[in-house]
Amino acid sequence: AAAAMDADASRQVRVRFVTKLPPPLRAPPTAIAVPAELSRMGLSEIVNSLLLSAEPDHQAQPFDFIVDGELVRMPLHQFLLAKGISAERVLELEYIKAVAPRKQEPPLPHDDWVSAVDGSNPSFILTGCYDGLARIWKDAAECTQVLEGHSGAITSASFINKGVETDGSLHVVTGSKDRSLRLFKFDTSVTIGSSKRIGAYKILPGHTSSIQSIAVDPSRNMICSASWDTTIKLWAVEGSEEDSDTVSVKKRRMNSDASGPEESQLEGSASSTLLGHTQCVSSVAWPEQRTIYSASWDHSVRQWDAQTGRETWNMFCGKALNCLDCGGEGSSLIAAGGSDPVLRVWDPRKPGTTAPIFQFSSHSSWISACKWHPSSWFHLISSSFDGKVMLWDLRTAWPLASVDSHKDKVLCADWWKGDSVISGGADSKLCISSGVEIA
Amino acid sequence: RTTTTTRSAPAPPLTPSTFYLALMGCPCCRRRHRCRSRTVARALAPTPTPTAWRRRMMPRRKRATPPRTRLRRGTPSGTCRSSGTRTRSTSVTTSQRGRSRSGTGRAESTASSAAKITMMTGTRLKIWDDYNAEEVKITKEEAKIISRMMKGKTPHANVDPYPDYVDWFEYADKGHPLSNAPEPKRRFVPSKWEQKKVVKLVRAIRKGWIKFDKPKDEPNYYLLWGDDTDTADNKRQGLSYIPAPKPNLPGHEESYNPSVEYIPTQEEIDNYQLMYEEDRPKFIPRRFESLRSVPAYEKALREGFDRCLDLYLCPRTRKKRINIDPESLKPKLPSKKDLRPYPRTCYLEFKGHGGPVTSLSVEATGQWIASGSSDGTIRVWEVETGRCLKVFNVGADVHHISWNPSPERPILAAIVGRDLLLLNAEVGDEETQVRTKELLHVGEPTPEDDGDKKPAVRWVNNDKFDGITLIHHRAASTVEWHSKGDYFTTVVPTGESRAVLLHQLSKKHSHHPFRKLPGLPVAAVFHPTQKMFFVATKKFVQVYDLQKAEVVKKLESGLREISSISIHPGGDNVIVGSKDGKLCWFDTDLSTRPYKMLKNHSKDITSVTFHRRYPLFASSSEDCTAHVFHGMVYADLNQNPLIVPLEILRGHLSSDRRGVLDCKFHPRQPWLFTAGADSMIRLYCD
Repeated sequence: AAAAMDADASRQVRVRFVTKLPPPLRAPPTAIAVPAELSRMGLSEIVNSLLLSAEPDHQAQPFDFIVDGELVRMPLHQFLLAKGISAERVLELEYIKAVAPRKQEPPLPHDDWVSAVDGSNPSFILTGCYDGLARIWKDAAECTQVLEGHSGAITSASFINKGVETDGSLHVVTGSKDRSLRLFKFDTSVTIGSSKRIGAYKILPGHTSSIQSIAVDPSRNMICSASWDTTIKLWAVEGSEEDSDTVSVKKRRMNSDASGPEESQLEGSASSTLLGHTQCVSSVAWPEQRTIYSASWDHSVRQWDAQTGRETWNMFCGKALNCLDCGGEGSSLIAAGGSDPVLRVWDPRKPGTTAPIFQFSSHSSWISACKWHPSSWFHLISSSFDGKVMLWDLRTAWPLASVDSHKDKVLCADWWKGDSVISGGADSKLCISSGVEIA
Repeated sequence: RTTTTTRSAPAPPLTPSTFYLALMGCPCCRRRHRCRSRTVARALAPTPTPTAWRRRMMPRRKRATPPRTRLRRGTPSGTCRSSGTRTRSTSVTTSQRGRSRSGTGRAESTASSAAKITMMTGTRLKIWDDYNAEEVKITKEEAKIISRMMKGKTPHANVDPYPDYVDWFEYADKGHPLSNAPEPKRRFVPSKWEQKKVVKLVRAIRKGWIKFDKPKDEPNYYLLWGDDTDTADNKRQGLSYIPAPKPNLPGHEESYNPSVEYIPTQEEIDNYQLMYEEDRPKFIPRRFESLRSVPAYEKALREGFDRCLDLYLCPRTRKKRINIDPESLKPKLPSKKDLRPYPRTCYLEFKGHGGPVTSLSVEATGQWIASGSSDGTIRVWEVETGRCLKVFNVGADVHHISWNPSPERPILAAIVGRDLLLLNAEVGDEETQVRTKELLHVGEPTPEDDGDKKPAVRWVNNDKFDGITLIHHRAASTVEWHSKGDYFTTVVPTGESRAVLLHQLSKKHSHHPFRKLPGLPVAAVFHPTQKMFFVATKKFVQVYDLQKAEVVKKLESGLREISSISIHPGGDNVIVGSKDGKLCWFDTDLSTRPYKMLKNHSKDITSVTFHRRYPLFASSSEDCTAHVFHGMVYADLNQNPLIVPLEILRGHLSSDRRGVLDCKFHPRQPWLFTAGADSMIRLYCD
């Protein structure tokens, strides 16, 4: 036993804990010797005890440790061996708060599969459902508005004003399997307790097949929609109403003989169509004013110039893609997932290669959605048909956390308020996991 | 022959007596020999005394000269070689012997004549020759010769019979020629053959064939314990050398005087006796005072005998065994990695049916699939999420379902019960919906004039589903669309002459052009591009030309019972699945017999299908598996199609001893849908 103790003693690593966290969570920067077989949890305990000794009323919490831009996810000696870091010198361990949902909010029930969710507004959550209704949930508690009008399942929904409340109302766009987009406007100051039914104020028909995904441009004047009919159409939110409205309203009047509420609806037509994909365009993202990224079942990711409508870059990956999002450093990385359980991240700035720079393969079924954190460069979530939502950090190949609250396929997921993960699935629930602290 | 000369004596003058002798010949041999004069003389001479005989003979013996020389000296050279081989002594002996016998008249006559000569000695001699009857005068010299001869002396007085021996020849270290012949000319002329030989040698030296520097003597060592199986010696003449097993190197214990620790104690030796024969040590070390006291090897005889027995019993014939690696006989197939993508893993399950899913069909764009089940429902599913979009409760078993291949006509054709039902799947935009609704409306049912027989098919509006029911005269089993989406065909297995029916949707018209079929029809499909038609009966596949209305080909499958058929999108290759689990690939350009027969399933094959874009085909079976193959058809007609088995897809559970009932590829992705008897549809992706 004594020999074992000696062996243990010899296998120690001298570490120094550093952090960028604010002072109450700052440990003394002295080098201390820790056993080499400690993993992340043990290191976390040491940091917590250090903090506790400095401040008696410290609450213990998990930390994550970064060495050379990589998260420590195995025992320390293994990590050092794998990275080829000498155990002789003092190891600088930067610690951050562990990124994991700490709390599961009560799920928000729906009538059918929840297929679209948008959490870009900090006070509202927008969900789209297979029963053709979009719902506005205030503060993740109660459905305040029901947006009706679609005859098919809603596949995607998005806030247009993104929290910028002009005249106290928010604009919402939804895309549906009934081949149309609808624009809604709702009053943000509505009192809790009544779920008001709102019709669309504008319909954007034109696609010949189901709409799969929509994206709003950063200036919030344009919408692009991707459809099963292999096209991407761009629509203006406000402009060109005057010339197109009257005609279309007349047409609609002629077509539909008795439609009371639809009298007030306007119709718009696409300002341009992006042609190039050969199969269903499953996802679009509009990270910058000029660039649109699209992912398709024809195994390609394409970059479009939003103004000229030209294809500027493309990449083939060999799998049918279901989801795509842009984010990361300078929001220039592309994360996409599809008909296999691997979430891949590409860097389109790298010339001459189509190899993904990161691959995350802990899921066991198709990936249905992926979203970058709105502010962090490193964090993204992915949802899969295996019923899991996983939190990823680019600095490690293991998932930071996995949310198992769904009983069935997860169809959509998003960040909300920067610290919650919201996901909707085939179990007709919107699950909210909050308390994800990303410094 | 007139004169005879010797070297030692001058030639005697020619005298009548010698002439006579020469004429008469030798009295002993009657030939004209030189010996004859001597013989005569000797015959005339008195018998030599033993001492004289000895004197004549012995001195020669005393000389230690080779007998040949003696003989040579005695017999003059150049004459009478044949008789000269005889020694003089022998001839004398014979003459003496002859005389001592005193048997011959001639000897007496010579003796008497000699007596006459003696009488006339000292006077002028005259001799009467009886033979010639004349008197011969003998001169003084002749008389002297005769008297000398009679005294046994040499005829001439000045002949020294015993001269001193002069050894003319020096034998030692002389090497002189034995013959006195003059040197022949060739000795002085340069030899042509020698020159040729020299030229050869010079050439060999120039070319380096002859080397003057001796090669270094390689030490004649060899590795005693090395492996001598593949030395050049052993490979000579193609003999395979079987080396004797090498004994182990001797150890210390095998010394005649090993250290004490090697010597087993008596107890140990006794223990050896208790051991099994094979466990017993082969060699027990012993100590000897000296090498001298080491006894002979006691098993030498036994081992020699065994070795001989081995050699004797060893079979002399060598068996030729073909050594082929079984792996090398496998065909060289490309690796599975290179043939990606192909369906491998099940990622989606379509759950909802309450009974075995008998059939499924994928919409042309690949967005939807439709499935029919024994629970009496047709369901339309969304491929992307696995959501059931619509349920048509048709109320009877759905046997087969087929989606119209035209994207503008979202129409489902399903065999429900025994009839065909055309349904509007209600996907697609408004215009399509309107057109579809118009299409699925039968106007006035035209009364078919088919004699008194029941019409084969009646087109009736189906109000419940806004579709059309085609009421068949017998139960229909399968339905297939033409690629344009207007024509379709149904198969009525028991329909006899009206077993395969062709229908046109736009005209709501049906007819049955195929009167004669070789057996019960199982399935019928259209050629993907040309106006051809394939009808699979239980054993054959008939290929019809629809324009000429005649049979083009008849493919003989050799199978027990065909269950399904699929046409390659190129149209020249056909796969057929059978109820004995075999899959046949026909190359219709190649032969009417199967190009490949794959026995891959243990139970009935329920469905075979080709992918429309990828070089893939699949078969599903009652053994709960679906097999995926790579089936590459080359544009080059000389190259045979490449078939590589890729994957066995499992996952379906057996229900009521039925497994996978149908399989279909996604039209654009390398994905495979399988419909199982466990009321599940699975989607296998790459």
